[in-house]
Amino acid sequence: MPGVVRLALAQARRDRVLLPVWILGIALLGFVTATAVATEFDAESERAAIIGVAAVSPAFLFLRGLPDGTGIGAVVFFQGYAFTAVLAGLMSTFLVIRHTRADEELGREEIIGSLPVPRAAPLAATLLLGAAANLVLAASVAAGFAASGLPGTGAVTAGGAVGAVGVFFVAVAAAVAQVMPSGRSANGAAAGLVGAAYLLRGIGDAFGSPSADLTQVTSGWASLFSPIGWGQRSRPFSDADPVPLLVLTGAAAVVAVAVLVVRSRRDLGGSLLPERAGRERAGAGGTSFLGLAWRLQLPTLIGWCVGAAVLGALAGGLGPVVTDAVVGNESLKELIGRLVPGSRAEIIDVFTAALLGIAGVFAAAAGVQAVLRLRAEEVEGRAELLLAVPRSRARWLGANLVLAAASVTVVAAVAGTAAAVGLSLSGTGNPPGALLIGAALAHVPAAAVFLSATAVVFAAAPRLCIPVGWGLLAGGLILGQFGELLRLPSWVQDLSPFRHSAAMPVEPFDPAAALALTAVALLGAGIAVYLIRRRDLAA
Amino acid sequence: MTSAADPVIKATMLAKTFGATRALDGLDLNVAAGEVHGFLGPNGAGKSTTLRVLLGLIRPTSGVVRVFGLDPWRDPVNVHRDVAYVPGDVSLWPNLTGGEVIDLLTGLRGGADERLRRTLIEDFDFDPKRKARAYSKGNRQKAALIAAFARPARLYLLDEPSAGLDPVMDTVFRSQIRRVRDDGATVLLSSHILSEVEQLCDRVTIIRSGRAVETGSLAELRHLRRTHFRVEGGADPVRLAAIPGVQGVRANGTAVEFDADAADLAPVLAAVAAGGVSGLTVSPPSLESLFLRHYSDRNGQAR
Ligand SMILES: Nc1ncnc2c1ncn2[C@@H]1O[C@H](COP(=O)(O)OP(=O)(O)OP(=O)(O)O)[C@@H](O)[C@H]1O
Ligand SMILES: [Mg+2]
Repeated sequence: MPGVVRLALAQARRDRVLLPVWILGIALLGFVTATAVATEFDAESERAAIIGVAAVSPAFLFLRGLPDGTGIGAVVFFQGYAFTAVLAGLMSTFLVIRHTRADEELGREEIIGSLPVPRAAPLAATLLLGAAANLVLAASVAAGFAASGLPGTGAVTAGGAVGAVGVFFVAVAAAVAQVMPSGRSANGAAAGLVGAAYLLRGIGDAFGSPSADLTQVTSGWASLFSPIGWGQRSRPFSDADPVPLLVLTGAAAVVAVAVLVVRSRRDLGGSLLPERAGRERAGAGGTSFLGLAWRLQLPTLIGWCVGAAVLGALAGGLGPVVTDAVVGNESLKELIGRLVPGSRAEIIDVFTAALLGIAGVFAAAAGVQAVLRLRAEEVEGRAELLLAVPRSRARWLGANLVLAAASVTVVAAVAGTAAAVGLSLSGTGNPPGALLIGAALAHVPAAAVFLSATAVVFAAAPRLCIPVGWGLLAGGLILGQFGELLRLPSWVQDLSPFRHSAAMPVEPFDPAAALALTAVALLGAGIAVYLIRRRDLAA
Repeated sequence: MTSAADPVIKATMLAKTFGATRALDGLDLNVAAGEVHGFLGPNGAGKSTTLRVLLGLIRPTSGVVRVFGLDPWRDPVNVHRDVAYVPGDVSLWPNLTGGEVIDLLTGLRGGADERLRRTLIEDFDFDPKRKARAYSKGNRQKAALIAAFARPARLYLLDEPSAGLDPVMDTVFRSQIRRVRDDGATVLLSSHILSEVEQLCDRVTIIRSGRAVETGSLAELRHLRRTHFRVEGGADPVRLAAIPGVQGVRANGTAVEFDADAADLAPVLAAVAAGGVSGLTVSPPSLESLFLRHYSDRNGQAR
């Protein structure tokens, strides 16, 4: 298609800071993990020990993936792959939506559409850019692994596994962009699909069957429905196999062609979900900052609640089942008994606590997103209209912070309730359901710290608040998931608020920590409210 | 709070810099109560920036601003109580309907006058049931205008308010300006449309590069301009050129053309009559020429 390369270069120029940050960040995470495993688990016997434990703990299998041998590379891949693949997926979906539906919604694509290029050329350019970005990502991850001393074939295959997932989500996001009417909803739906891919893989892996020596696990069928599961099937460091990666890229190509056809036949601005006429008058609450925040955030909040409900249901419902599937393996019973400390109930608790920890991150993300809505209002010029009314900026910010905090609580409560329901459906009376609701809510104070930190950045340095807000949350997640593995000094690990909230039901509730976190969150909110008056409204 | 004699808007030596850009550079602006004040200037002159400063949305780098005698940066809420604003770039919430946007904005100001709201929607021929996503540019503008006019205010700050309106809607808009002026409100109207300024404004301020280069009533501004004469017949160019206030005399075949200071035309007329006249064209200074001169004059010198 003529013009595609030029358009792709123009789009790449817009992303010249963002994409390198994503790519280097992901590659660096791989490099650091590989180096840490190589130094911390130097001896084969040590690695065999943790792999053995992991192979029979559903929590590990769900969160991390499948153990695939005891080599350094295999351990690194097991520890880091699923997260890295999620990051690659998010990088790809945000990239695609930014240049497609979001641009279309803001009217930027119209001017490109007047140029002498085919209608689908901008989309083709974005697909090209996405593919190129993931190629660079694959190469960077491979280089990072190779630099840390892992074997070449494995490093390249592992990089390919990350890149192939990214490429797949480039195509998927392009499809989502055709369906959803706005950039925001498209981003939400596409990111939701990345999350679904992670969860499906998790379910499949948690139902996996360990080998006799507990060094490998074969996943259950559910992971066949997940591109991340497919990437994992390439098994870079045991029996490297590029076929699953080719399948992923092939599927991406098919989807991409279909999407190009759809785009060249559809109207600019058209979507499969059309707009309907709405109400002529604002309802009760339609004339207040809080009411407006609620109206704007509701669709997103529903999305987060659906995600939290799925996660919670898995946490409660799946725990007993997968524990029995793995631990109840008769032929391995004696070996497992020696390897895995604790009773059956305790193993279930670890699984539940781990998943509810992720639900806590979900809740924080919902809150951060609600705060970042303020920035969108400012950039897109609506804050100017809104702040010309006789209400203070502090109230505007305050109303949105209240809504963000409520979002956090609701998402956590939904996860906890779903976990309790799941648990009762799976027929296990222990731990009690109410405890699971408490376990999910226990993460609310930590999550609130993230949203008030985001608010402070919004008030003090608005142009940075989107990358910093999400970056802080990603940092907290990485510290939580990789801090122990990387043996980071404990003060560094303590920087993450999540480390201070109790992982119930494994740990008891810690009221002092919860109060301290709440105090920090309130202090941050106060600082944000104080600072917001002191700056210009800035596009 | 303020007496009637105090200006509603008083800005002195206002400056605002964005990094290296000096958007405002010593602007003086006075708008008296009850006045419709035109605010003109080329693109990038600093009109929108001034309105944002007047609303306390951005803080001036230096200078003093008072709106209703209050500092809008320190006390935005009290200033906004009596202000209606239409921004230059109207962006609405895509998933709210036009009616909901109007209710939101008027509601936050204390509630719309229901009768006004209804008439405005009718007069502007506005469909309040559609989602803002689906509005055309003119319709977004109408939503902002209706929200501004549907609740009485003492000061209307309008940034190119008629941009995107069709001629019929433009007359509706102009009649609304007259209505609020008759109610005693003050209007600061930034505009690029000269006929609109001519029709509506009592006084105007022209700014360029962040500084006021001219301010006064339209009559005064005209007065400062030169009237253009074209005389056919025996007018004596040398005699004409000697009259104080006459410039640019040039003979053009049988005709003589020159510009004369509009303040004192009597000696000019005498000189013209003395030479004998077979044809005479006198053109008043057009607003257009006045503005064009200010807009295009790059050396920063007014007049
Ligand atoms: N937030 C900002 N950051 C940087 N520069 C800005 C900002 N806002 C305005 N400017 C600059 O300040 C100057 C004045 O801009 P302003 O929008 O006030 O002009 P204007 O008179 O409204 O122009 P127009 O007639 O085109 O609407 C311009 O040079 C503009 O680029
Ligand atoms: Mg402007």
